Parts: sequence; structure tokens; C-alpha cells
Amino acid sequence: MFKKLGRYLLFITKRERIISTIWIFSMVGFGVVFTMMYPSLFKTDAEMLSMAETMNAPVMKAMCGPVYGMDALSPAIMMAQQCLLWFMLALAVMNIFLVNRHTRVDEELGRLEMFRALPVGHLTGSLATIKFAFAVNLLIGVFTALGILAVNIEGTTAVGAFAYGLALGAVGFVFAALTLLAAQIFSTAHGVTGFGFMVLGVLYLMRASGDISGSSLSYISPLGLGLKTEAFYADDFMPIVILLAEGIVFSVIALFINAVRDHGTGVIPARKGRVYATKFLQSPFGLAWRLTRGTAFAWAVTMLILGMAYGSVTGDLDAFLSGNDMIRQMVEASGAGQSIIDSFVGMIFSIMSMLAAIPVMLCVLKIQSEEKNGRLEQIFAKSVPRVQFYGCFTAIALVESVVMLFLPAVGLVAGSNGFLPLNDMLKASFVYLPALWAMLGLCVLFVGVLPKLTAFVWVMFGYSFILQYFGRLFDLPEWAVKISPFGSIPQLPVQEFSIVPLLILTVLAVLLYAAGQWRFYRRDIG
Amino acid sequence: MNIINIQDLVKRFGKFTALDGVDLTVRQGEVHAFLGPNGAGKSTTIRCLLGILRATSGTVTMFGQDAWKNAVELHKRVAFVPGDVNLWNNFTGGEVIDLFLSLSGSKPDRAKREKYLKLFELDPSKKCRTYSKGNRQKVALVAAFASDAELFVLDEPTSGLDPLMEKVFQDNIKEIKKAGKTVLLSSHIMSEVEKLADSISIIREGKIVESGSMAQISAKAQGRTLEELFLAEYEGR
Repeated sequence: MFKKLGRYLLFITKRERIISTIWIFSMVGFGVVFTMMYPSLFKTDAEMLSMAETMNAPVMKAMCGPVYGMDALSPAIMMAQQCLLWFMLALAVMNIFLVNRHTRVDEELGRLEMFRALPVGHLTGSLATIKFAFAVNLLIGVFTALGILAVNIEGTTAVGAFAYGLALGAVGFVFAALTLLAAQIFSTAHGVTGFGFMVLGVLYLMRASGDISGSSLSYISPLGLGLKTEAFYADDFMPIVILLAEGIVFSVIALFINAVRDHGTGVIPARKGRVYATKFLQSPFGLAWRLTRGTAFAWAVTMLILGMAYGSVTGDLDAFLSGNDMIRQMVEASGAGQSIIDSFVGMIFSIMSMLAAIPVMLCVLKIQSEEKNGRLEQIFAKSVPRVQFYGCFTAIALVESVVMLFLPAVGLVAGSNGFLPLNDMLKASFVYLPALWAMLGLCVLFVGVLPKLTAFVWVMFGYSFILQYFGRLFDLPEWAVKISPFGSIPQLPVQEFSIVPLLILTVLAVLLYAAGQWRFYRRDIG
Repeated sequence: MNIINIQDLVKRFGKFTALDGVDLTVRQGEVHAFLGPNGAGKSTTIRCLLGILRATSGTVTMFGQDAWKNAVELHKRVAFVPGDVNLWNNFTGGEVIDLFLSLSGSKPDRAKREKYLKLFELDPSKKCRTYSKGNRQKVALVAAFASDAELFVLDEPTSGLDPLMEKVFQDNIKEIKKAGKTVLLSSHIMSEVEKLADSISIIREGKIVESGSMAQISAKAQGRTLEELFLAEYEGR
């Protein structure tokens, strides 16, 4: 059953030498960097306490996890309770992909079949995969602990560092085991990934609900259980032991199912798909929408939730702002002397507008990924006009630009229980429309004129993002700010409204669009 | 009447000359085999014909109209099957066939669709992700045969099919021909060419090196098999 396990492990290690190494380095690296930042965030104990109190608000607990150790706060505790959950989420994602890659993906692509034809045990692949995943999670946990010890911020203890690191690794391992189980249940790699992320979402929400109400739901969710170690305070290792036991149980069940099922099948057979296309799909627009709707829906939900989350913190804004130096600096730089709520709203929309630009850009760039994958030439070999089909993608992107700015504004109003006026929020949000259109135009231009260099639009985006996030903290020359379409938009309600930059950006967007379309009509496809 | 008429077609990609003065005519109702080694320019010629690539110079017409300028109108009368059929992983085969048929402006004809699905033994309810290369080709072939096209442009359409399906394919080509339709068939399978083709063009390094009816080519073979003749042409002997 487990023949050639050692050789197979070696083989997985070889295949993983790049991806897993990158994951280990970035998980540990970001962990250490974030830890280093914490002592500088609070100048006094009072600041730390007010920050912790803000984090103790129900909405913040739902988002970031429970607060502990109010009687003995230290930067180490603050770091642990604010960071651990996010690192768990990242590590869970890593494990879903890692385990799926070596189990169901290989099986679906027929790679595993070749091994099964060799004198390799029936369960060798699965066992080697879960063992490898265990090792990676252990390494990340131990290295994170050692990294935190090396930085040694105030409040760090050796026991606490290992409680933190091992809790992280143990949660990762549980998700590896869950994915191994999912790989036995579903017969497609797509199904396994989908299920993995759905479970991750459900467990996150269970924890959120449990953390607000103090119910046992947070103990059932591995994410919630991991946080119960209370690193640098209680340093309870029991949750880690339970998590490991859970992981082992899930793995054993998965191996058992693997032993009894046929190769290439899952417990749940693949769903039969549609035999006929819907009327809607049978048109260029229907096709474009089908190809872009997934991203559109996911972003729409994200934008709404983010808006609601920000809306709900505006209530105890003062506490939130005085608790965090960096955010306060950003807020003050963006509008000295203004009402602090107004500044906060202005800052939120300067960030939200950047996030809103992502699905808009992805939508235009989708047609280029279709081209790269060799599908576009098949479409244009049919009776489909180029300008019209490209226009379908840009039309969807145009609608998305409005929706993605509308939803966070509505979310903000809803999250603040109507404390923030809808009218003002919509104005502050929609003022960014021309900036989104300029980015849209830039994408159309690149896909049309320089399809091989479309990565440049992300360079432009990254520059704008850094500028929006940190730029106002530094004294940058005027032109450096104006290069970014977002930089020339007046931040409402703080700054004075001015129509001129908006008109310029809109005209620019139209010109970029026209040039891109003109060239796309004439160039080679593929 | 010439359905396809290509004269002195030149296509350059930067400094690289892919097609160096290609001449190709395909008459109505014939199956014209388009042969040549890999990289000789078969697919590039076909892409210029379909208006996917823009000719650097030369004339390319289908049904007497400019293949680039009138591409959208012309494609209602053309069915294309590429050698590498790339489909959308999360679409079912049936969805793709319907989509392709409607995008080419064909009247929806379920009976016709079912007939070819059955002939090629293709399950349309499966997601394209799960299809093998052969099955993906079947999707494109069913969409092509079930359309109202008058011209079939097929670029190595059978490279992934098993011998049984190869037979089905050949039978269908013969049927199309009987209906007076025209076929441009690029292929590496000599038996297929021998059985189906009325005339042949051979391309090498971006130039047509041999062209003529099957009878003329056979006469040239002088006792050699067609395969031996082709190999000699491919190598430039």
C-alpha cells in the first residue's frame, strides 16, 4: 500500500523545491517584518490599550479575532492577536493548493496513473503528500517562532513564540488534511479547490460568529481554535495538540477512502453539465459576460463587505485613529484641519477606488488571456466583428466601474447605520469614475497596441496604489502625484471639488480607448 | 469558379518571413490537400485566409471577396477547425458547439447537431476540462459539420482521432463533397490525403513547391508511392 514512500517523498520535494520554498520564505519573512513594525506603532501603554479596546469591538473581533491579555498588554501580544488569523488564512490557501496539486490535479491529468503502473503503493502518493505538507507547515511554524525570537520585541517569550508558530503550522496542517479528504470526495481538481475555499470561508464565519457571541463555534473552527493558544499570554498548547489530532484523523479517513475508491473517481461523481447552451450564451456579449462574471461577482461582494466593515468602525473612529499612529499620520496628511470623519471617508475612498479598478482592468485584460490561450482566433474565425467583441468586454468593464464604486459607498452607509449620508458617500466615491476609466482606457490601449507588454498596466497600478497609500506621507513633487490618474482626483469631502481634472481624465480615457480599438481592429491575432 | 484565391501572399513577422509569395487556388466542390513539413507556413496561410493575420502583401480572396476586409461576412460561409482546439475549461462540449454555431451565424438545427454528436460518439454534457485532445477536436468538428458552411478550412483536424473516428471523418468529408461544398484540408496523414484529395498543394519554407490535381501528382510520382514523393518534396530534392 505504501511502497516506495521515501522515493515518492523525494520526488514531491523536488517538484516543490521552488513553490514551497517561496511560500516558506514569504510566510516567515512577512511574519518577521510585521513583528518588527509593532513596537513603533504605540508610543505609550495608553495608546496600546485604546487600540486593544477598539479591536474588542464586535465588528473588529469578527474580522480579526478575539482580544486577550488586556491586563498585561505588550507589543508581542498585540502582534499575535492581530496577525495570527491572517497568517492562518494565507497558510490555509497554501495548503489547499499544495495538496490538491499532488493529489486530484495529478489524478485528473493522468499523471498519477503512470505511477500506479509502476511498483508504487496504492496509497503512496496520498501519504507522501500529507507527510510533505506536514513538514512544510512544521518548517513554517518553527521558522516563524525562531524569527520572532530573533526580533525579540517587548513581551516576547520563547514559549509564546513557539505557541504562535506551532498554532500557525497546526492550522495549516488541518487544512492540508481537509484538502486530502476533499481530493477523495470530488472527482475534479476544480471541485477540490472550490470546496477548500468554501470550507475556509465557512470556518472563518463560524469563528467570527463564535468570537462575537463567545459560543463554542470558535472552538469547532480550526481558525478559532488556533487563536485560543493566546500566544505570549496564556501560551496554551492544548489547542495545538487538538488541531494535530484533527489533522491526523482527517488524513486517516482520507487514506481509507482512497484505499477503497477506484482510480479517477470521487465519492461524489462529477456533475453532468448542460447539454445545450443557453440562448444568452449564444452571442458575443453572452460569451464575454460568461468569461468575466465570476471575477465581477466576487469583487462586488468584496467591495460591499469592505464598505460595511469600514462603515461600522466609523462609530468609534476616534479610538481607532488614536490607537494607530500610521493611519493617523495618513489621515492628517490627507486633510489637515478638517473633520476627522471626513478625512477618514476621503482616505477610505482613495483606497477603495484602487480596489475597484482591479476587476475593471481584469475584465479588459481577459480578452488578451483568451488570445494567449489560442481561443480568440477560433472566435474571430467565426462571423464575429473584432471591434464589437472587444467592445463587449469594455462595456462590461464600464458597468463594473460604476458598480464597484457604488457598492462600497452603499456598504459604508449601511455599516454605519445611516450615520454617514448616502449622498455624500456616493459623491466621494463616484468622483473616482474618471480615474477608473483612464485605467480602463490604458488597458484597452495596451491590449490593442502592445499586447505583449500588458504587464505595464499593473506597474502603473502598483505605482498609483503606493502613491495613494503612502504618497501623502512624503513630500512628493506635484507631477509625480499627477502621473497616477488617482492622484489628480479631488478627495471628497475634504478637498474642493473641481471638474477640470475629471474632464481631462475622461477625455484621456476616450482617446486611449479609441487608439486601442483602432489598432486592435488591424493587428494580427495570436 | 475559385472559392479560394491566394496570389503572391507575403507575411512577415518583424524580420522573419513566414510566407514568401504563396499562390493557392481551390475550386468549388473540390477537396484540396494542403501539405508541408511543420513550420513551412500552412497554418500561417490559413490564418491569413481567415483574416486572423493581416497579409503583408498579396491578394487573398474567398468567394471572390477580400478575405481581410470582408472577414465577418465571409465567415458565415466558412467553417474552421484548428489543429490545436483550445476550449474553455468550465464550458461543456454542448455549450461550445451551440456557441460556435451561433457565432458563425448558422441556423440552429438540433437534429443535425445530434446526428454528428452520435457519429463522433461525443458526450456533450462533459466539461471541456475533462476532454482529451481527440475529444476537443470532435467538439470543433461537430460544430463545423453541423453548420451551414460552404467552405471547410481544416488545419490538421484529425491529429488526435483514433482510426474509427478517422473513418467517420473521411465519410463526412465525402458527404460534404457530394453536396458540392469545398474543403481545404491541411494534413500529415498520407492515407487520408490519398483517399480524399482531388488536388494538392505542397508548401515548403513559405513557398508553394508543388501544386496540381491528384492525377498530375500521381503521374509525377513515377512508380514511387505518394509518401515517397512527398518526403522528397519536403526535403527539397
